[in-house]
Amino acid sequence: MKRSSRRAFLAKASASVMVAAALPAVVRAQMVRTPLNNMPEVIRKLTGTNTIHKGRVKLDVPPLVENGHLVPLNVSVESAMTESDYVKAIHVFTERNPLPEMVTFRLGPRAGRARVATRVRMADTQNVIAIAEMSDGSFWSDSVFMIVTLAACLEELPA
Amino acid sequence: MTIAISKLPKISRRSFVVGTAAAGTGLALGMKLPPFGPGVVRAQDGSPEVTHWVVIRPDDTVVIRIARTEMGQGTLTGLAQMVAEELECDWSKVTTEYVTPGESVKRKRAWGDFSTGGSRGIRESHQYVRQGGATARTMLIQAAAEAWKVPPSECSAANSVITHNPSGRKVTYGKVAEAAARITPPKDVALKDPKDWKVIGKNVKRLDTVDKLTGKQVYGFDLKMPGMLNAAIMECPVFGGKVKSFDSAKVASRKGVKKVVQVGDTAVAVIADTWWQAKTALDALPIMWDEGPNAKVSSASFAEVMKAGLDAEQAFVGNDAGDAKAALAGAVRKVEAVYAYPLQNHACMEPMNATARYTADKCEVWVPTQNGEAAFAATLAASGLPADKCEVYKIHCGGGFGRRGAFHDYVTQAVRIAKEMPGVPVKLLYSREEDMRQGRFHPVTQAKMVGGFDANNNLVGLHMRISGQSILTAVRPEALVKGMDPATFQGLARGGEFEFGYKGIPNLLIDHAMRNPHVPPGFWRGVNINQNAIYAECFMDELAHSVKQDPLEFRRKLMANNPKHLAVLNAVAEKAGWGKPAAKGVFRGLAQMKAFNSFVAACAEVSVSSDNKVKIHRIVAATDSGYAVNPAQIERQIAGSFVYGLSALFDQECTVKNGRIEQENFNTYNSMRIAQMPKVECIVMPSGGFWGGIGEPTICVAAPAVLNAIFAATGKRLRTVPLKNLGFTMV
Repeated sequence: MKRSSRRAFLAKASASVMVAAALPAVVRAQMVRTPLNNMPEVIRKLTGTNTIHKGRVKLDVPPLVENGHLVPLNVSVESAMTESDYVKAIHVFTERNPLPEMVTFRLGPRAGRARVATRVRMADTQNVIAIAEMSDGSFWSDSVFMIVTLAACLEELPA
Repeated sequence: MTIAISKLPKISRRSFVVGTAAAGTGLALGMKLPPFGPGVVRAQDGSPEVTHWVVIRPDDTVVIRIARTEMGQGTLTGLAQMVAEELECDWSKVTTEYVTPGESVKRKRAWGDFSTGGSRGIRESHQYVRQGGATARTMLIQAAAEAWKVPPSECSAANSVITHNPSGRKVTYGKVAEAAARITPPKDVALKDPKDWKVIGKNVKRLDTVDKLTGKQVYGFDLKMPGMLNAAIMECPVFGGKVKSFDSAKVASRKGVKKVVQVGDTAVAVIADTWWQAKTALDALPIMWDEGPNAKVSSASFAEVMKAGLDAEQAFVGNDAGDAKAALAGAVRKVEAVYAYPLQNHACMEPMNATARYTADKCEVWVPTQNGEAAFAATLAASGLPADKCEVYKIHCGGGFGRRGAFHDYVTQAVRIAKEMPGVPVKLLYSREEDMRQGRFHPVTQAKMVGGFDANNNLVGLHMRISGQSILTAVRPEALVKGMDPATFQGLARGGEFEFGYKGIPNLLIDHAMRNPHVPPGFWRGVNINQNAIYAECFMDELAHSVKQDPLEFRRKLMANNPKHLAVLNAVAEKAGWGKPAAKGVFRGLAQMKAFNSFVAACAEVSVSSDNKVKIHRIVAATDSGYAVNPAQIERQIAGSFVYGLSALFDQECTVKNGRIEQENFNTYNSMRIAQMPKVECIVMPSGGFWGGIGEPTICVAAPAVLNAIFAATGKRLRTVPLKNLGFTMV
């Protein structure tokens, strides 16, 4: 997918997935620092033409953190977790980390419950999206706009 | 000053207070959000919010919202000037208030970034605060036009008065604010051309001076609340160490002592009625530390580590051109020098403090902070409560310099301590000694420079090797670039806002052998430009003298393609009278740099007695920050930064012995006195078209300009900071 189509994808996906799309452009412009990665492409690769539904997934991360290098992240999914109806995987994506794929958890009916917890590193203020891949092939999601309060005396770094 | 509890913020889902209560004005300003759908957002006194940046009261008072922090640098006034410029309001009726980070989170970060560091308070928010003012003006005009049933294009606004030009009818902002607040804000309102600015660029008086002069301004240090308890804290003085044990019983019966608590793994605090009771009990409390693996580290042992880095094979390359190593190998003549810069403490006049009140469903913190959002994040993490049950009220800082920006260890501690006393406000205040021991220190580095000349005395190559501490590795490892700390190269970078000023050097290599001590580093006003300006600009002077060239002419040749760097350098040279004789016994030195997107230069005039007493007579300093919002304030910032920078140059060093910082108060960590202060002549020369910072850039050129002048006076190169260690003192 080329850069130009990313916007189109975002526009489509935003209605169901993205929180920040609701913000006025000027507000977004002032808080973006690191460039967007290719998250939409990567999500598209995962889900193909399937619709990503909003709901059933609860992504629990702090709305803001002082420092991005150790952030608690919890995801739970409403699922019976039976042989016929279970969560196959939970994927977490970010739009401004160097790589969009943050983590994938593989689950099965014997996992008992669809709930995972870990700690992650966040490069910047950005959207975090959790997508649950169900055994029936459907995709469900939740997203959080997360503020990483950056260190003082730093912004555009001399590289 | 005691603040009545009734004046303290009462927070509910639908209203919040914007921190003025903590600032002691007794004003219950705030906002009430409508429960359903759009509508007028109101301050707590009922005044309408025209845009989120502007509240207008019926008496025409204009309340401008501020997200960044005032800590003496004048940002509060500068930001208000920018809103007022576009709002076309009566400046005499302007007042300001802080917004709270909790409300910002609720309103999807409506006020943007709170971070007040990196000299970006003005330069990073100018666009959206001006838009906030322009949008509000447009809405006010539209409201008046609708009332008069005339087209808005026939109306104009000035000095908080809207005029219908054909009929001459007039109305003040206060009368139409209510109606304006109901109008949907227009998008993309045009901003004024800088040539039409009337308030921006004007030397208006600071808005916070009167409260400071009258003592009305309450700092976190002074904050008192009814029923408030006080806490003193001591953290393991060896960084990386932990609390092993402490004997509370030894102090539990002392007068006023309420509780002795461990704070995290590393600290112990005493909570008492008064701070002095807490502090003296803490002094008497037997504490055993597990000092960990760093208990034997000293400044001398780490200096050896850095020294080895000066010649290490591997280093991160921050800037290069051509082939410096080959050029130096083929040079006819080489010049080499090693410099060193120490750990330093921010030593804010007001030690770190925070007041917290915790209950199971609410945690509030009153704190002087350079970043309200970061303080809020620390509050969430320490309290364990969700964002809608926490709030942080900012207080003007009694100094920040970077210590109150990137680290909110004292907020985390204050909340943990308050959790031990649910419902009771507890003020945590560091003693001066604790503040000095538990700093986030200016990084320690050494640098080795090698320059090479051809047979015609042309500089053919320069290698600058920095060895030592990286801030980002400790503070923000996610910002490293393949292991390299790009911030190490501030002022030495290929381009951007820290661009090195000598494109004329054909073969250049600037690299960093990262060597990190256990002492936690931080962002100290100017950050890495303080040492980098000394390394680069003093060595440039050494190179010029080695080929018997005038330091200004030598630089000019290498700066032909850096016109803005050169312009500030030329400006100080001209104003100082470079090339013309100085007064008898007075000698001059130059330095320049680009930092935080501003171009800065200085020319110092000094005389040095035979017993190495240095009198700095005058420093001429030039700053091109693109635009100058309040030139008089810029001049004060520059002069103020020289107090900080010259104190650091002559007197300030934190040394490490047995893993801990040795200097615990101002007797061993001195600041300059008013009689030592040179005359500072500022050239504020905004060239337009970009926005540069003010708080930090110019600080870095004072030290190398003075050092180069000392060389001119004495023929001695002083390559180690602070100069007290070399026997040089400021008089």
